[in-house]
Amino acid sequence: MSKNNLKTFAKYFIKIIILISILLVGIDFTFHRHAYFTLEEIYGFPAFFGFVSFIFIVLVGKWLRKILMRKEDYYD
Amino acid sequence: MTNMIPGLWMIITSIFLPLIPQYLRQPVMLLSVAASASSLLNGFGVFVEWEILGNTLILYQADNLTLPFALIFHLASVLIIIYAWHNKNLMENMATLAYAGAAIGALHAGDFFSLFIWMESTALTSAFIVFAGNTPSARSSAMRYLIIQVCSGVLLLIGASLMTLQTGNYLLTKLDLSNNFGIFIFLAFGIKAAFPLLNGWLQDSYPESSPTGTVALSAFTTKLAIYALARTFPGVDTLIWIGAIMTVFPVFFAVIENDLRRVLSFSLNNQLGFMVVGIGIGTELSLNGTVAHAFVHIIYKALLFMSMGAVLHRVGTTKASELGGLYKYMPFTTLFCIIGAMSISAFPLFSGFVAKSLIMSALGGQGLILIYFVLFFASAGVLEHSGIKIPYFAFFAHERKMKVQEAPFNMLLAMGIAAFLCIGIGIFPKFLYSILPYSVEYQPYTLDHIVSQLQLLVFAILAFLFLVKFRLYPSEIKSTVLNTDWFYRKMLPGIGKPFFQSLHFITQKIYFILNLLFEFFIGKSKKFANLSYFKVTTPSFAATVLITILFVMLILAVI
Repeated sequence: MSKNNLKTFAKYFIKIIILISILLVGIDFTFHRHAYFTLEEIYGFPAFFGFVSFIFIVLVGKWLRKILMRKEDYYD
Repeated sequence: MTNMIPGLWMIITSIFLPLIPQYLRQPVMLLSVAASASSLLNGFGVFVEWEILGNTLILYQADNLTLPFALIFHLASVLIIIYAWHNKNLMENMATLAYAGAAIGALHAGDFFSLFIWMESTALTSAFIVFAGNTPSARSSAMRYLIIQVCSGVLLLIGASLMTLQTGNYLLTKLDLSNNFGIFIFLAFGIKAAFPLLNGWLQDSYPESSPTGTVALSAFTTKLAIYALARTFPGVDTLIWIGAIMTVFPVFFAVIENDLRRVLSFSLNNQLGFMVVGIGIGTELSLNGTVAHAFVHIIYKALLFMSMGAVLHRVGTTKASELGGLYKYMPFTTLFCIIGAMSISAFPLFSGFVAKSLIMSALGGQGLILIYFVLFFASAGVLEHSGIKIPYFAFFAHERKMKVQEAPFNMLLAMGIAAFLCIGIGIFPKFLYSILPYSVEYQPYTLDHIVSQLQLLVFAILAFLFLVKFRLYPSEIKSTVLNTDWFYRKMLPGIGKPFFQSLHFITQKIYFILNLLFEFFIGKSKKFANLSYFKVTTPSFAATVLITILFVMLILAVI
């Protein structure tokens, strides 16, 4: 029972996030978004940048584990 | 009362705290903060000077830069006292109150020597807070913490002495890196602000403290350093690069760290980077951005540490590998944690948004395109470790078979006030902007800006969901993640131990030969005192070596 709670919550959460994502990129086509640099003004640029950055950070972090990860009692 | 140095009431009260009955301690502590806070109404100017040996030290001055910091330091003290209302540990209570008082005192120092004394006071008192973590690892961490903090203090003293010798001036003024004293003072503040490579102490010690202690630690030392840098090194270009590196490199460590309070310590480091960039740009807008960011950061960072402290208090650990599913048992803590997480991630309508925007606008206005996108990238990183990882692993992730209670009322109250402030400042930024050092007309809520920021954040969340879906998101593993404290915890002892062991061996041989010679020539044996074995791994030894090196540096610099 309790397990289902978290799963149904996750399902709704994913749906809502996808819906907002579509809206946010859609709204870019309705007006010209001003920014300090023209790069940022490209349609959907912050969205693309955020998505790629996030994946990059996580994957680099995973790779860093090979170098930086030690046993829990390493310093003891 | 008007001539009482702010913070001093709190230090005096902390000394008399053992005489006060247990049930009255927290109310008395609150009263002392109120007494100290009355100084906020004094306005600007120089209030207390001290003539000593023909020199004048400025013990109490206030201006447009001290005011916002003093306000938030008092506010943080109140939150910490409420949060720790249940805490019966006398040493921790005393240390916390004195630490907060010393930090407030330091803000109002007008010269480098009184600043040095206050900063040393914060170092000493906060070391006791780490010590009060009361585990073997907390105790050794406290020793390392104290050594590093004292080193920073000695560097400041060297810089201040050289400055006085060379210029005859010791008042807090704008400096740059063209003089040797400037570099010493820069390094002293750099250690406290956890610059890259000088940051090991922060992630080492903060997570070792008690649930309440970490909240106190997170507020003062580093923000005092930010204040000091903003006062003495505004517009120093080097800071832009240092700050940009600071925003990025803790991000990767935070992804793989298992202890959630250590994740928050990396996150704290990354937030300091944003502030340091603001100081480096040095315009009115960017300095406003730094101060605003420090102000809101103290609140949401305390909130996040409080929520993890509540988890630690109830569950006994903050290791991601042992947590999950707590939303059911700690719904209010979950809610407050999410508010803190959204604030630090700079969602519109939350406090991080209205503060970070100032720094980003300053970067945009100056045309610093590379740094702008580095910070944009770092913002995705903030969302990753503080926005998602902290609430996700503590309160959701997996269902675990543990039944715990919601946090005690006083903890919830402190978290509630902090959460209220996070949202309040986010919705009504006018209040925050009105206390900033420079008056600026700034509107954070433009459609351009909101859409841009939301696109970044929501698509980063989408990336997270994508990674979890395809099982690419790194799972929690019980582990130690190496950080820059490795250099003095493993590398130096690794080199030093064999060196001193062989030195010990050689001296033993020399004494042996000397003894033989004595016996041969004088006829009777003379026992030379055996050199006691150098214990190179002890903190006291390391401290002796470090401080000796620093004093040699001082002497060389003076010559």
